[in-house]
Amino acid sequence: MSSPDRDVPKRERWYESKRFRRFRRNPLAVAGVLILLFFAGMALFAPALTADRLPRGCMRDLGLGRSEAREALRDPTRAVFWRAMIAPPESCYKIPRVSYSPVPKPPSEKYPLGIASGGYDIYYGIVWGARTSFYIGVLVVGIVLVIATIVGGLAGLFGGWLDNLLMRLVDVVYSIPGLVLAMVFASIFGRGLIKTMIAIALVAWPIYARMLRGNILQVKAQDYISAAHAVGAGNLRLFFKHILPNAIGPMIILASLDIGAIVITASTLAFLGLGADVGYADWGQMISFARSWISNPGGEPLKYWFVWFWPSMAIALFVLGWNLLGDAVRDALDPRSQ
Amino acid sequence: MTTFIARGLLQLPVVLLALSLLIFGMMQFLTPEQRAATYVRTEQQAKNIDLIIRQYNLDKGFWAQYTTWLNQVLHGNLGYSKQSHEPVLTTIRKRLPVWTELAIFMFFPTLAFGIWMGTLAATHRDKLIDQFVRVFAIAGWSLPTFVLGIWLLAVLYGYFHCCGIGRADDKYLIEFAKGTLKTYTGMITIDGLLNGRPNVTFSGLKHLVMPVLTYMVVASAQIMRVLRSSMLDVLNSDYVRTARAKGLPERVVNLKHARHNAIIPIVTIAGLMFTFMLEGVFFIEIIFNIPGLGQWAVPAAIQLDFPAVIGIALLTGVIVSIANLVVDILYGIIDPRISFQ
Repeated sequence: MSSPDRDVPKRERWYESKRFRRFRRNPLAVAGVLILLFFAGMALFAPALTADRLPRGCMRDLGLGRSEAREALRDPTRAVFWRAMIAPPESCYKIPRVSYSPVPKPPSEKYPLGIASGGYDIYYGIVWGARTSFYIGVLVVGIVLVIATIVGGLAGLFGGWLDNLLMRLVDVVYSIPGLVLAMVFASIFGRGLIKTMIAIALVAWPIYARMLRGNILQVKAQDYISAAHAVGAGNLRLFFKHILPNAIGPMIILASLDIGAIVITASTLAFLGLGADVGYADWGQMISFARSWISNPGGEPLKYWFVWFWPSMAIALFVLGWNLLGDAVRDALDPRSQ
Repeated sequence: MTTFIARGLLQLPVVLLALSLLIFGMMQFLTPEQRAATYVRTEQQAKNIDLIIRQYNLDKGFWAQYTTWLNQVLHGNLGYSKQSHEPVLTTIRKRLPVWTELAIFMFFPTLAFGIWMGTLAATHRDKLIDQFVRVFAIAGWSLPTFVLGIWLLAVLYGYFHCCGIGRADDKYLIEFAKGTLKTYTGMITIDGLLNGRPNVTFSGLKHLVMPVLTYMVVASAQIMRVLRSSMLDVLNSDYVRTARAKGLPERVVNLKHARHNAIIPIVTIAGLMFTFMLEGVFFIEIIFNIPGLGQWAVPAAIQLDFPAVIGIALLTGVIVSIANLVVDILYGIIDPRISFQ
């Protein structure tokens, strides 16, 4: 007798699938992944990268002295290394101020990317800003997914007047430009990073709610749903066990690829002054520090190029990474592009 | 067709009503005193805030408040803006022409440029121009509008002294303020011509170069991508082959037969682009120092001057709703196969 497991077809690993191979062969996709890995590394190792220039509040919260910090935050055997990397105290996101001078200072050995107006260390802001960007992107996508699942799920599951009502709500929210709605929100609730994130999420959910509703309607028409219903599965079981898992995939993928667009909105709000508190490591805000040093300050054009160049490059590259990745994933998932 | 337009027009008030409910609902998070501040103009009124609360039913139930508020809005009382020290409606009326001028010059050239480049990319598939369009589209799509605006400001204006910021050269703005140049529409380019001074119009156009360029690079990317792919679909279809077989010149086949059908998805994109532009104008105004609606509304939002922001939200909501209606009607004009049932 032959051994029974010989005929079992080998399970296809995800990295052997056609989709992944198509994705891997796309040079733009690889470029996107590399850019994002670069930023992810920068965000993750932010404490080690900036160990010699941490603001005082941050060192106090970590219980370290200046010279001690330089050693400890670069030594993986120390507990504080991991603590600073995984859950740094809020005070670490404050950009340290070298001085209070309104005039920016060009790059030097100690401050490799220069010092922005107000004495803010640009290098520190860029490194910790990467962390803020991932944080904003992931959290906003999370809130968007929750709202979209509730609204789209209710609309798709129950249909009828509830569906009609919720979809009209989607239309109405959709008919105000997102930035204006976020501005209304900010003018009523005040500014702050968390409030900005909620505002962006409240603006971004409608398109995903509509997508999920469409997918649910599609899945609901499948035979296996009728079969499950015939066996006597209740409404809740039907929804959570059979419909939702089969309908939610595309929405999750597309929403998480939207992080680029979310970071654009967030940095725009920060640039306009509606984002995090002043001094928080945030690329959009760093560009707004640069505002009065952009166009020909003091008759010497491009003298203060570093104040706007680094943060704007960081935003543009970060978004480019997400867009390249998103484009490639959409292509790979599109059944027509076989 | 007529019934379709009529139905759309009938739906418009419903959408607007829902919009006003949404915005009013958000205002409920403020205290009655804060909401009463909408109608406060002077110090004395601020002292007697209870009177205002009673006058506008702000201490009553939700519906009584809502109907009073809606009544005020419909009569043109959007409240008083602390940012501009005048009623919201007055400020909007003053700044709307500047904003409209910018919006017109941003929207149509961008649309035309996107359609042009998209067509070229599709008809010269995999040639140099196609590769260029591909790179341009990815880059433009990834650049936040304000980032590109700042780069242009630093390099074009700061380094090359090209173009200019603001609305027009200062000497012309002074003439407008003194009254030697008459203000007819509030749009510099048109007023210059109406005053018989083409150099004023030219100055206005020169100052529009950077804002328009900024928006064009960012927003035309999507149009190029969509038009390129839909045009490629159409170019492979049978009727295009037939048209070629008949011996029609390539230009007629491409532009008349193929593009006419490929342009339908562009109508959808143009609608989205229009909404995107409404907010794009805001920070373009801030970067290039143009005194339109954005230059008033954004500082107002920072100062928690919410009557101004809510006025802007209502205004943009109305504009977008009307634009959506126009898009629906355009579908019917461009593609008669879409029946209006």
